[in-house]
Amino acid sequence: MKRILWLLALVVVAGAGGWFLLNGSEPEGPYPGMGGDFTLQSNQGPVSLSDFRGKVVLIYFGYTSCPDICPTSLGALAAALKRLAPEEMARIQPLFISVDPERDTPDKIAEYARYFHPRMIGLTGSLEALRALADRYGAYFRKAEVTDSTLGYAVDHSSVIYVVDERGMLVDMIQHSGSPNAILERLRRVLHPSASS
Amino acid sequence: MMQKLFSTVALSLALTAPVFAGSAADDIQVMDPWAREVPPNMTTSAAFLTMMNKGGVDHKLVAADSPVTGVVELHTHINDNGVMRMRPVKDMPVPAGGKTELKPGGLHLMLMQLKRPLKAGEKIDITLVFEDGSKKAVQAEVRRFDGMMKHDMKHDMKHQMQHDMPMKHDMPMMKH
Repeated sequence: MKRILWLLALVVVAGAGGWFLLNGSEPEGPYPGMGGDFTLQSNQGPVSLSDFRGKVVLIYFGYTSCPDICPTSLGALAAALKRLAPEEMARIQPLFISVDPERDTPDKIAEYARYFHPRMIGLTGSLEALRALADRYGAYFRKAEVTDSTLGYAVDHSSVIYVVDERGMLVDMIQHSGSPNAILERLRRVLHPSASS
Repeated sequence: MMQKLFSTVALSLALTAPVFAGSAADDIQVMDPWAREVPPNMTTSAAFLTMMNKGGVDHKLVAADSPVTGVVELHTHINDNGVMRMRPVKDMPVPAGGKTELKPGGLHLMLMQLKRPLKAGEKIDITLVFEDGSKKAVQAEVRRFDGMMKHDMKHDMKHQMQHDMPMKHDMPMMKH
């Protein structure tokens, strides 16, 4: 009997400890330790993630000479954004971050981003800054020398839309998808958290 | 009965077969060729199509060319645990009786050093070169991709015959 009581006590303590660890003082999103603030360059000057507190920020890492993956993702994202109500769209800020600063100038990136959506802001930075940022978001990119191609090099990269909520917390990662509906559904989940349980 | 069926099939094949039967270009039927509209000042794009091999031997697409580009390369994407690696490929095999689909996220014709911007609605000439040196000219419609391709492609497949005819596509992305 005594032993059972001890066991019970142990379970309670362990449970409380676990609960405390999971619900520590700092509210953590579904991706603890990932995401966070950054400042990069647009063709209009520096832009920080913190500039958009109160908005849902969508971040996509790519490069402008990407002929297929980036346009597919960004095209699908743009199509999803166009299906949002104006009041929903007003709460969203899409960002395109070029991980190819060698070839992509801020002007070129701005034009590229605008082509997909008039509100999309194009950003880039030094390779070191981009590397550190990508690491924090779990994005992957690597310059890949491609022999037998006039491309010179391709940029291997993950194709994910990172969703940062109004508090600046990374709350969702939408994997590469050409489907506007799939993206739309995930965006609405963040825009209307109470509607979806 | 079987023989009659066979001769009907043979006859219809003979009727649809081009004059110079046997070359890869003759065996390969190209469906729904399209190219992606490019954002301003961009000089790379991609073209997609489906090749069906109606012949009895395997074929390979080995090169492509277009007057609107400096270079066309055959590329593919490898989705390596979410990391997209784009790489040139030497050729794109089309097995006898089978088909090979070039589509976003996979095999594509990489249009490089574009000489002018590609605008949705226009058509560009692309010449496909096969392993035996035979060539096939196709006209790819330039489209602004907005993610609704899947439906559009299925729709187009059903009406593939119409692609050989001059046809007005007012809104290629819309359900028509």
